[in-house]
Amino acid sequence: MKKKHIKHLYWRVGFGISPSELEKLSKKNKKDIVSGLFKSSSSHTALEVDTSEIKAVFSGMMSEKLDSKTRMEIQKMSRQKQMELNAAWIERLSTSKEVLREKLTLFWANHFVCEDNNIVYIQNFNNTLRKYALGNFRDFVNAISKEAAMTKYLNTKQNRKHKPNENFARELMELFTLGEGQYTEQDIKESARAFTGYSHNIKGEFVFRKWAHDFEDKTFFGKTGNFSGEDIVDIILNKKQCATYICGKLYKYFVSETINKNHVNELADVFYKDYNIETVMRHMLLADWFYDAQHIGNKIKSPIEFLVGIKTVVPTEFKNRKQLIYIQRLLGQTLLDPPNVAGWKGGRNWIDSNTIVLRLKLPSMLLNSGYISKVKEGHGSVLSEEMNAKFNKTYGRWIKTDVNWDDFNKTYKNVKLNSLQEYILACDINTDTKNYLDTLQKNSKQEYCIQLMSLPEYQMC
Amino acid sequence: MDRRKFLKQSSLASSLFFVPSFVRAFEQVASSTLGYKRLVIIQLSGGNDGLNTIVPFNNDIYYKERPSLSISKFDVIKLTDEVGLNPSLTPLKRLYDQGYLSIINNVGYPNPVRSHFRSMDIWQTASDADTFSQSGWLGRYLDNYGKHPHSAIEVDDSLSLAMKGENVNAIATKDPKAFHNLSKDPYFKNIHKHQNDAHLSEHNLGYLYKSMIAAQSSAKYIFETSKTVSTSQDYPNNKFGKQLKTTAQFINSGLDTKVFYTSLNGFDTHANQLNTQKRLLGQYSEGIETFVKDLKDNGTFKDTLILTFSEFGRRVKQNASVGTDHGTANNVFVIGENLKKQGFYNNMANLSNLDDNGDLKFEIDFRTIYATVLDKWLEVDDKKVLNKSFSQLDFI
Repeated sequence: MKKKHIKHLYWRVGFGISPSELEKLSKKNKKDIVSGLFKSSSSHTALEVDTSEIKAVFSGMMSEKLDSKTRMEIQKMSRQKQMELNAAWIERLSTSKEVLREKLTLFWANHFVCEDNNIVYIQNFNNTLRKYALGNFRDFVNAISKEAAMTKYLNTKQNRKHKPNENFARELMELFTLGEGQYTEQDIKESARAFTGYSHNIKGEFVFRKWAHDFEDKTFFGKTGNFSGEDIVDIILNKKQCATYICGKLYKYFVSETINKNHVNELADVFYKDYNIETVMRHMLLADWFYDAQHIGNKIKSPIEFLVGIKTVVPTEFKNRKQLIYIQRLLGQTLLDPPNVAGWKGGRNWIDSNTIVLRLKLPSMLLNSGYISKVKEGHGSVLSEEMNAKFNKTYGRWIKTDVNWDDFNKTYKNVKLNSLQEYILACDINTDTKNYLDTLQKNSKQEYCIQLMSLPEYQMC
Repeated sequence: MDRRKFLKQSSLASSLFFVPSFVRAFEQVASSTLGYKRLVIIQLSGGNDGLNTIVPFNNDIYYKERPSLSISKFDVIKLTDEVGLNPSLTPLKRLYDQGYLSIINNVGYPNPVRSHFRSMDIWQTASDADTFSQSGWLGRYLDNYGKHPHSAIEVDDSLSLAMKGENVNAIATKDPKAFHNLSKDPYFKNIHKHQNDAHLSEHNLGYLYKSMIAAQSSAKYIFETSKTVSTSQDYPNNKFGKQLKTTAQFINSGLDTKVFYTSLNGFDTHANQLNTQKRLLGQYSEGIETFVKDLKDNGTFKDTLILTFSEFGRRVKQNASVGTDHGTANNVFVIGENLKKQGFYNNMANLSNLDDNGDLKFEIDFRTIYATVLDKWLEVDDKKVLNKSFSQLDFI
């Protein structure tokens, strides 16, 4: 397989590829490489921070109801733990061998959007995303509908016989399965009745409250019967539109923001057969059109892709976890804290005046105290303790990181300095910018790496 | 359409036909600096308890439901025979006395949601309670009517959804110097200098380059314009005071910005509410009074409208921790010089007619306030921004 295509594949299903890995894979064909991706993601490793303290509170409780003092205590512990989980997730994304599964988990987290102030519930939810990321979509939807965090977030808990709450039923169709305008208000009302009684116990396990369930007939999409929540999911998935909608979202995320209807329909035909996510992903990654020149390096990285991408090239630790969260907030995407159930818009919406300014400056701030070398060719090595000290004073105080340049130097040892851009960037450098870069002195891979990461081109994958 | 607007539009239309272009250019400059209307939003985050802000001190139900959380009729700052202000709102009373304050009671929306995130979301996107939007109402104003990203500025680190449009986002900055510094590394300048616009494509990379260039110029413009003025006012030394000080600096320097967004946090008073709310309302009213003085000194108050809201009010009945739980309808403050309805816009809520949760029933949809501000103050098509037609109120 061509190196260009392997790099493209790895940027889309992961966060880039190292030179040695690329070299190794370049001797294999496409089918083997894609199979390898699925093989290394066949297992799933749950992401867990220690929540035993909170779980101990749960098991010590006599009743199912939290008094307000305990609730506040749990919320306080949860806030702390949620920051830990956030950091652990970013670390996972930067280092996991289950690359494809992790990238899909990130995708699903912006599809089945949910948040909660109880760390146990949100951690369970996150691991459900991970577990089903490459599994069966039908099982996935049912599992999501029974997650404690989801029954809280979209009020299924409050959805009772004769007192329906339609929130979950509406979003199930509008955001999770069919897309806007594919159902009537009556369909929402009727399906909401089928999800009555869905709730959870204090530990976060699903509980079906029989007394709250509406066992009478419902009429949904023209069918009448005593439907359960699972029945509703079956009826929805029976519609080809569901496969088309999900494949459209996968296409936008992995291939291009501009939908090609033929390609999406091709995927939907595959997906509709049994709603197996692995099968449709394999089809996509093997399709010739996935590697079309127009797609290569033409996607704007999400803030997380950007941040994790930096970390995979130059391993970087944030000394202060709060700063890692703060940076995510400034970049416009904080993991575990979505704007609302519709999620992040993505694409060009990641970019505005604030985020572009920060994105261009951030690599140098994380890796080099904010300094980007501008030394002209032929000016000798004036660079400069002095300069570094000055920048360290201005920006170094701001974000505290431990940067592992040794690892970078090892990884990129066999890469020639003047071909480093082929490994750091996913697209060609704009002609005018290239002309400027050519006037600059190149004698340090580290400095050139920072120059490359400080370009608009580095925002692309 | 009112007469003034009609005249303005017809004179604009005629100028397009008859007036030589250099005169037209002059006119545009003139109209952009004179009578340049600005909107300042103040968000009280966490759900401010409206009932202890505007207090019905002659209402038995109020005292019955809040045995240890009510404000006694001897402590309230009386506005009418029935209603008074929280004692920490003395500065606001002075604005009230000058006719600069209009209090709109009972503002909310149908099917109220009692979650902070969601209710704030609804207020910021102006959506119905059962629909979700990925763009905010001021962001959509920017989409349709903003000339630059800096046409709307949030005086904070990051942007609220309210300020994100479908295509354009506002700028967030509480420190124009830091923002400018971040954007002006000589490396970026050199890249910019080398760009030949013809090479900037419509593709994503071209979009990034254009965004970079626009951001650099906005950052420079905001910094260099705002640094020309400084304030003689003594703002309260807290985060909110600083936000207002920066906002006043932006306005008084003549920055080409129509909308400013600020917020004051901490109103989620489930326990021991009295002191917390007293402190926060004190910060709010002292800050706002200084802000109004600052604008008045610089002749910009008459062209500034200040809107204060919170995502919901709180339950009428106090809880067991001498606090209040999440409620529904709440009061909104409009502050400005030329208010049509000074003082109270409408009556207080009826405390004997509550919903099943024991919460107030809303009377005025908050989007009718937005529609009014968009149409009558910012003079744009409110339907285009709110995606729906709302009736309008009569406060400006």
